[in-house]
Amino acid sequence: MKIQQGFSLVRIWRYVGLASLLFLVTWQWTIQIDRSLGVSAFASGWVLFGVLAFLSLFSIRKRLPFMPLAPSAIWFMLHTIGGFLALFLFWLHTDALGSKGFYGQVLTVLFYITSISGVIGLFMEKVIPRQLTCSGVEIIYERIPAEIAGIREEVESLILKCTEEIGTSTLAEHYLETLSWYFQKPRFFLNNVFGGHLSQHWVRQQCMILERFLSEKEREYLDKVYMLAEKKRKIDFHYALQSLLKTWLLVHIPMAAAVTAMVIWHLILIMVFFV
Amino acid sequence: MAITTQERPQRWDQPFGLFMTDQDVDRLLTIPEISAIEENKFPAHCSLKGILKNDARIVKYSAGDIVIREGDYGNSAFLVLDGSLKVVLFPGLPGEMLGRRTIRKKTLWQAFKQLWTQRKTPEVRDVKSQNQYSLVRATEALGTSHVFLQDVPAILDRNKTASLGKGALFGELAALGRTPRTSTIFAETDTELLEIRWQGLREFRKYDQGWRRLIDQRYRANALNAHLRATSIFSHLNDEDLQEVADATLFETYGKFDWHLTYNKLQTQEKNLGIKDEPIIAQQGDYSDGILLVRTGFARVSIDRGNGQQTLTYLGTGDFYGADEIFRAWQGDSNVGLRVTITALGYAEMLRVPSKIVEKHLFAYWSSGREGFRKRSLQSSVESRRMQDFIDRTLTDGALLEWAVEERFVNGTQAMLINMDRCVRCDDCVRACSAAHDGNPRFIRHGKTFENWMVANACMHCADPVCMIGCPTGAIHRSMSGGMVIINDDTCIGCETCANSCPYSNIRMVSIRDDVGNFITDPQNQKPILKATKCDLCADQISGPACVFACPHDAMRRVDFRETELDENTTGF
Repeated sequence: MKIQQGFSLVRIWRYVGLASLLFLVTWQWTIQIDRSLGVSAFASGWVLFGVLAFLSLFSIRKRLPFMPLAPSAIWFMLHTIGGFLALFLFWLHTDALGSKGFYGQVLTVLFYITSISGVIGLFMEKVIPRQLTCSGVEIIYERIPAEIAGIREEVESLILKCTEEIGTSTLAEHYLETLSWYFQKPRFFLNNVFGGHLSQHWVRQQCMILERFLSEKEREYLDKVYMLAEKKRKIDFHYALQSLLKTWLLVHIPMAAAVTAMVIWHLILIMVFFV
Repeated sequence: MAITTQERPQRWDQPFGLFMTDQDVDRLLTIPEISAIEENKFPAHCSLKGILKNDARIVKYSAGDIVIREGDYGNSAFLVLDGSLKVVLFPGLPGEMLGRRTIRKKTLWQAFKQLWTQRKTPEVRDVKSQNQYSLVRATEALGTSHVFLQDVPAILDRNKTASLGKGALFGELAALGRTPRTSTIFAETDTELLEIRWQGLREFRKYDQGWRRLIDQRYRANALNAHLRATSIFSHLNDEDLQEVADATLFETYGKFDWHLTYNKLQTQEKNLGIKDEPIIAQQGDYSDGILLVRTGFARVSIDRGNGQQTLTYLGTGDFYGADEIFRAWQGDSNVGLRVTITALGYAEMLRVPSKIVEKHLFAYWSSGREGFRKRSLQSSVESRRMQDFIDRTLTDGALLEWAVEERFVNGTQAMLINMDRCVRCDDCVRACSAAHDGNPRFIRHGKTFENWMVANACMHCADPVCMIGCPTGAIHRSMSGGMVIINDDTCIGCETCANSCPYSNIRMVSIRDDVGNFITDPQNQKPILKATKCDLCADQISGPACVFACPHDAMRRVDFRETELDENTTGF
């Protein structure tokens, strides 16, 4: 038995084809309405509303994992394709890249933020997991503070042991002056996000500065501290990238909710004043 | 420098029965089944008296107590010292009566209701219903309990039963073969039994001819024919020929029965050491003297590669190896040494059907124009399952399976495998699991990783469920419908035997609470009541395993490594 993870290209293209067909039909419909001097925005508007309603169902589906509502993976794929379809329908509906009037402009901005955050999120979800895997460690996000605290304790007990055993405080002083900052909490967030090596460079630099002031035995302790710093670097990397994976939704979901609310109000206004 | 010393641990440091006295042993030596044993055949380090005192214990059951349950895994056999017992014959007792959990799928409405009926406090139990449904009673021996049948006369009326009286031995095949008990036996009257753990039973079989004959005869009579009949290469034989094959078949055991106890220690060893320590069943290059059939357990199939051994695949219960090699030798091929080495993976019980009998009953048949049958019957054999492909595979291609074998994940039939290259660490799976279990997640999205694969800490519903060995009430059991390993919360007494036995740490003990969130405690010692919890594959949910269903990135699968070839789709969705 072969485990087929994800969907085949044929299946994806089938859904993309259906979405394209829906768009083309709507487009033709609006052209027909325009030709008969009707208001085509009604047609595109209703289709767009339907697609947006479908998109918001994904969030509800997530809250009902025990219901037989098709696997979440299918919902996610349809949500993604539907998101792009909504963008094209939005352009068709507004007849331009944006809408007129204050309300329309706010709605446009929110819609774009939702769409862009969705695309960025999608991109991150396809790229970041692999980077995390390559880091060589795996850690649950919520456990990161405890893990860092554990490393810090280990480093501090090493340094205390070094001081007690060798009787010099060079390593301890350097730790208090510089290295302790690094072990306090996740550091170099942005650099880690962009895949930089600043963290590694900084720790190596700090160790190199200190090395020539240490005896052979103290260096052994410094090596151990360096190893722990390396471990923390990987955890920091996870923290930065996992934070990204979690926080983009904090933009996407509230914005999507705001768009939905404004669209409903927009619909009510249209129905009350124009129909 | 001070040297730390410790007395060398001995086999019987932890006797089976804590209260066995010399008087008990002397008494046992007078009963016919034991007195018939030739004491002088036992070596000094493993004397008969020693076995009786340390590998056996006297246990008492009240009328109605269940001694063994159909479907349970156990590691001991019983000899009736006093009283009488009843064996429930086919079709057996219903699961509820045995203290099993009844799986009832939720209706659509019940499933939907979970949206608002989920509790905010973890591990809440309904104390009233738990007390009402008490099938468990404590026994005289400290810390043990028995499940009992409430209406024995009615059971006797409704079911066909057979009687067991003084001197009867039962449970020995399941104990030695690590197979599920085939029927339920309960005490008809107050009963005294001698319970012998498998180690003692093994010694009895090894050193006493009478016991060996008895056990082997029973196995040949009860299980061997069925096993051979189920093996594809012997499916064409008539009863008479099959009996001849069965009579010639040899039994062999390799490895440690309780491999799970040393599993964690094994994990710290150097990779290659693991293989080198494994007992060899058949060596690459040696002449094959028979077809090897796996009766229970697992065997690693490996090949010499550089300075080590490359794992090609593994054999599980029902698999066989060697037919192809002997067939080629029989046809006159000069290069007929075994292409692979077979070693016991933890513990393996093998059957060896000698070449002579194979030639007579199998090859003669194959060569009489039944080439099609040969190919068909070998399809289930690992050797025809592209053995050459396995051998030709690069180290990289076979690395995942090698790892799965090394970590014993091959034991799992529903291992939770996560592709970390797809997983966005959103924990939707954990939330879904929690939602499907009244707010209590039953797995941790964390576990051992290899490349981009992670086997998460979720019950794997093992083929060899060592967690089930020793459960005093049978609360942890294999579901008759679906085969998953599940726990009956009502009959779990929180003894932690299963959690301690699980080599993968996939069973968690939890302190249960009442409706308002207070811990439920034992009135005698005020300690919280514990329950064992684990993944039950969402047995009562209509959607199936919620974790897999909830993954938006299709990163998770429940897999049986034996049947799995991982093939990641590159489309990204």
